Order: sequence, then structure tokens, then C-alpha cells
Amino acid sequence: MMYFDNAATTCPSRSALDKAQQFNNEKFFNPSTLYSGGLNCAREIKSAKETILKCLGTSNHEVIFTSCGSESDNMAIFCARQRGVFVTDKGEHSAVYQSFLELKNRGLQIEFIDLNPDGTVDEEKLYNYVKNSRVDFVSIAHVGNETGAINDINKIAKKIKSINKDIIFHSDGVQAFGKIPYRLSQDIDLYSISAHKINALKGVGALIKRKNLSIKPLIFGGGQENGLRSGTENVFGIKVFEFAAIEKYDNLQNNYEYVKSIKAYFEENLDRALFKIISAPNSSPYILTISAVGLRGEVVMHSMEEFGLIVGNGSACSSKNRFSRVIEACGYKNDVLDGVIRISFSTFNSINEAKNAVEILNNTVKKLKGILG
Amino acid sequence: MENAIIIRYCEIHLKGKNRGYFEKMLKENIKRSLKGINFTFTTMHSRYLIENFDENDYDLITNKLQKIAGIHTYSRALVVDSNLDDIFEAAKLLCEDKEGTFKVATNRADKTFTPSSMETSMILGGKLLDVYGGKIKVQVKNPDFTVNVDIREDGKTFVYTDVVHCLSGMPVGSAGKGLLLISGGIDSPVAGYMTCKRGMKLDCIHFHSFPYTGEAAKEKVIELTKKVGEYNGGINLFVVSFTHIQEAIHKHCPEEFMITIMRRFMMRIAERLAKQQGDQAIITGESLGQVASQTIESITSSNSVVTMPVLRPLIAFDKLDIIEISRKIDTYETSILPYEDCCTVFLPKFPAIKPNLERVIRAESKLDIEGLIDEAFKKVEKYVF
Repeated sequence: MMYFDNAATTCPSRSALDKAQQFNNEKFFNPSTLYSGGLNCAREIKSAKETILKCLGTSNHEVIFTSCGSESDNMAIFCARQRGVFVTDKGEHSAVYQSFLELKNRGLQIEFIDLNPDGTVDEEKLYNYVKNSRVDFVSIAHVGNETGAINDINKIAKKIKSINKDIIFHSDGVQAFGKIPYRLSQDIDLYSISAHKINALKGVGALIKRKNLSIKPLIFGGGQENGLRSGTENVFGIKVFEFAAIEKYDNLQNNYEYVKSIKAYFEENLDRALFKIISAPNSSPYILTISAVGLRGEVVMHSMEEFGLIVGNGSACSSKNRFSRVIEACGYKNDVLDGVIRISFSTFNSINEAKNAVEILNNTVKKLKGILG
Repeated sequence: MENAIIIRYCEIHLKGKNRGYFEKMLKENIKRSLKGINFTFTTMHSRYLIENFDENDYDLITNKLQKIAGIHTYSRALVVDSNLDDIFEAAKLLCEDKEGTFKVATNRADKTFTPSSMETSMILGGKLLDVYGGKIKVQVKNPDFTVNVDIREDGKTFVYTDVVHCLSGMPVGSAGKGLLLISGGIDSPVAGYMTCKRGMKLDCIHFHSFPYTGEAAKEKVIELTKKVGEYNGGINLFVVSFTHIQEAIHKHCPEEFMITIMRRFMMRIAERLAKQQGDQAIITGESLGQVASQTIESITSSNSVVTMPVLRPLIAFDKLDIIEISRKIDTYETSILPYEDCCTVFLPKFPAIKPNLERVIRAESKLDIEGLIDEAFKKVEKYVF
């Protein structure tokens, strides 16, 4: 199998799993208990938090473990401000997009800022909006999950804070953490990350919160995570997350260059008569979004499956609303939108796989266009 | 005081000399459906009785009864010895949570029981008023609820208040066998449900065209088939690969006839499979005028390739009515899942709404019809649920 859907999820790292295994076996204790086994687990969680903050190069933040990136996004959006004007952009993951629609349902004022054709947020429009409205909360993704577009969030956050220092700035960093070399600036109040996107397990995420920022919990109960996220901690999952993060950050720059070379191979060798490249040249090397113009992304995806090649289609295909709202917001028309395919990479991919994959993509799409054209 | 479930049928009453055949079939369907649950089953003057079951199984049993065609209603009854004191205790228990107007209706199969039916009702009604006088009141015409007292010949009496309506219809299997074309949309599962409610045992056929439709679309059809199967006493699904046929039509025939010719192929394949499986009819979810392939001209075109009867139980139904039934049988939420349906990929921009049969036949003549169908039959997957 050639797996090129790493933005959806990644294969868990065997070594991270092995190292954490003890927390499934002898060290299975509840971290909230007061005997030494439990206290030890609590210490292990603390060390995982320190590791994650170190990866992000910050000492101004703290970590709240959650169950996933979506929960982290929800917590940021619903728990930092209870009223006011909320601003985001049109390129966000559904966890942010749908949460904003829910804010609107609850009677709050929301605004979706336009995207540039490359998928990044139109910064001028964002700043103008912030200047002219009494904005309370801004959420801009670090890396767009559908386009791979990278927003310079440190710069954007700084600019926004300079307009109004009371605005809370959140960023969805799920597609950036462990992938893009980056230091979290103290202008970022809240930052969402997820474990399973970096070869750890599903079921663990985290919200990185600026120290001294007061937020309310989304989940109430036993008071874990300083009372901000109740529920017995997933110690095993958290430790796998920590070990996977260490593996990522030990080689962050090398991984970045390696994956970039794989992406470049695709970009250079995909038949441009068949495919339109949607991801911008300066987008994340981990994501390449293309369109088999005139075909349906889902059909291409199924055809690839026959050859053991797994690629992602931008979003679930349905006869209604079948187009990706994000790619549409980049200004593309129906024939391009229909054919969107997302190819996403990890360090587990080899250049040989890339060669095979490109050949299969070129041949199969050519054949499909022959049949359907 | 024992619990019992009284099951009643409706339309079978209208049957004459062959009534026994239908009764036996319904009885067997009930027993098959309740397989694995402990209970005793008795037939009692046009009714069935389920007794000696574990109280915890009550919901499980009644959920299953509500999916058996031929059952008109059921009631949960308390069974007591036929004496006024015990009957009153049962009635008292049943009225504990009741409010509003009521009457007592007594039926004495055992004519040796005294007092008379009318008197029994009066005595029980009076006693109930003594206990619950504040919240219930007698009203003989159109009461909110009725306390039914059914005094049997065997010295036992059934007391019950609630009558739950079920599917009605005829026992599955009593009206032959048919093959349902199931697509993954809203209509076909409803058509299947309605047909098996009238007693026809169903098989299903689905046309799958990988890679134009994916695994998720097939899973969706499997889910829907299982739901229809709950009313059918189990079900067989045949999945036929339609890819080459669609590609051939797309390549050789005018775009406007794509759907028309596809439908003709589906009907031909369905008829051939139906004959193999001993099915006597083809069932579709077509509803007149709903889409281009469901105009009378399109239906004429697809109907003309088969000789077997084609049943279209939804032909005169409005979409909203179909949706209402699909919600009732719990297929709606699955039907609206957003997976590529076999028709949509090859959907022409301007399909022929009133296809001319002669032109369709001429367009189709470029294809090796029998060859394509033979090939499709080489790749039939069978699922048994």
C-alpha cells in the first residue's frame, strides 16, 4: 500500500508505541490518585506537557490535553469569550467553521474573511475588519488542511494585538505541529494541536493556552487539567504523543526538506495537461492539493485504491454541496472543484513510492478522462 | 398475576377457506422472528398469545412484533384467575398511571362466569372509581382509555388497557417472491418495505460501479438492505458490477439516453436474476414524474425490455409522503448519506425526459447487449442478512 493521505491521519510510530507501552501495562494508574503509581502517572503527563512546550519553543504557554484537535478548537472558540464579535477566515477546518456557525446560532456576530487565491487569509481585509469593528476573538489556521496554505500567524497575531490588545487570538495548528519549523509567539493566546497527525494515536489532542489567560472549561467533572478539562487523562495516548513529538522535533528541519523533495517530485512529474496544481508553491510541503479537472475527486480516489494507492479527496463527495468550500473560496470554478484530490505526505513515504504514485495518477486519470470525456 | 402479549391480525379475517394458510404463515413468521427468546406461544380464537417470557425481554419482543407484516395490533395483558377480586387487582394495577375518562368493557367467552358482562363492567368501574376517583372519570362514549376484561373459557381472564397498532398487511411469504431494485436513495427501501408488508418475500439487487461509486456507497446499500430485511424476515442482496455497462453506454450512445439505456440494462439484469432466484416480480421505487427517468415515457422504455410484472408501489406517492415512511422505517438517515450514487457520475446535463422508444432502441443497437449482461453476471456478489 502507498499511503498518501497523511493529512487525514498518520500511521502510529512503532517506537513511540513501544516506549509508551508500560502505561498500558504496569503503569496503568489513574493520574488523579494519591498513591505513588498515580502520582508517577501525573508526573509523566507533566513531562509530556513540558516536551510539547519545548517543541513549540515557548515558556509563556501551558498545555491542556484534550481528546482531539476538534475539541481543542471548540474549547478555544466557546470557552475564551462568551460574547462579542468573532472573526475567522474561509479556509478553516470544519471544527472551526462549524463552531463559528454555532456561535451565530447562539446570536453572536461572526465574520468569515476572504482567502487569497493561494489559500492564505487576505490579511488586509482581516486587519481592516478588526480596525473597523469591535472584535473580541480571531481564529486563523496556521496551515490550511485542504490547501496546505501557511498563514504567518505570529505576524498576524502581532498586528491584530497592535490594533486591539484585548482580542483573543487562536490558531488551529493541527496541520503544522511537528511539521513546520516554528516558535509559538506570546501573541498567540490559544493554539490547537492533534496527536494522530504526527504518527501518534487518535484520541489525544491539546490546546496550548497562554499563561494567565482565563478560560472556562468545555467539560466539567473531576477537575483534571487544572479544572479546565475534566475526565481521566489518556496517559498512554499522551505519552505516545510526547514520544512521537520528540521523534518529529529531533529531525524537524530534515523531515521538512525530505518531504519537500517528495512533494516537488509530484509537482514536477504530474501531467499538467491532466492536473491543475492548487497548492501554492510556498504552501506546506506536507500537503499537495491538485485537481483532475473535469473528473470527480472521489472517482479518482477509488480508481487509485485499485492500485493500492491511497490519496485523499478534499472533502466527502456528495451530489449536494459536493464542492470544497475552502477551494471554492480560493476562487476556483466547478470543473476544478469537482476534481479536487489531496495528496499528503509523511516521512514514511519514499521517493520510489512517489514515482509509482505519479505514474499511476497520470495513467489512470488519462484513462478515466478517455472514458468519461 | 402473569404477563402476556395478545397479538391480533386484521386482514386475514377476510380470508375464506384458505385462512388457515395465512394464519399458519403468520404464526411461523412470528416464531422465526422471536427465535432465541424464551416464551410460550399459543393460538387462541384468531389471536396469538405470548406468555412465560422474561420481563426484561418485553421491549425486545414488542419491537420485533412491530416489524412483522400481518400483525394488526398487540396488547400487553395481565392474566389472572377468573374471579372478580383478582380481576379487580389487575385492573387497579393497570390504571395506576392513568388519568382521564374511561370505561370497562367485559367480554365473557365463559358464559358460566357470573355476574354478567355488563354487571362485571359496572362493578369493576365502581371499584376503580373508589380507588382513583380523583383522576379518572367514567365516560362510555369515546373514553380516553378502556379497561378490557376478557374472561376465557379456561378459567383465566386477560385484563388490558393499551392496544398498540403494528404494520397490518399480510404475512411475508404469502404473496410470493419479488426482486427489489435498491439504489441507496430514499425511495427504493420504502418500496421494498411496502411490498413485503403486502406479503411478498423480497430479494434485492444493487448495481455497483466501482470506481465511479465507492465502498461507502455499497456499505450504505447494505445498511438499507438490512433495514428492509427486518420486515422481510431476513434478506438476500445481490450486488452486480455495472461499470463496464455504464462505460459502454457512455462511449457508444447519445448522452441524452444515458439514463434511459442504463435503466433498460438494469431491468434486463433484474429479470434474469429474478428468474434464477424464483422471484415472480420486479419491484422499483419509481414515482411518477419525480425525475427524468420516471416519466411515463421513460418507464415505458424501461418496462418494454421485460415481461415479468414490475411493481411500483410508490408510483402515485409524493416525495414528502415517501420521506415520512422512510423516517418511520428508519431508513431516511442512511438514505441521505452523501455517497456517490451510481447514477450521478454519468448524469447527462440534459437527459431525455420523454425518450422516443424507437430512437432508444436504435441507439442501443450499437451495444452488445447480451455480451455485456453476461459479463455483469460473472461478477455478482451475494450477501445474506
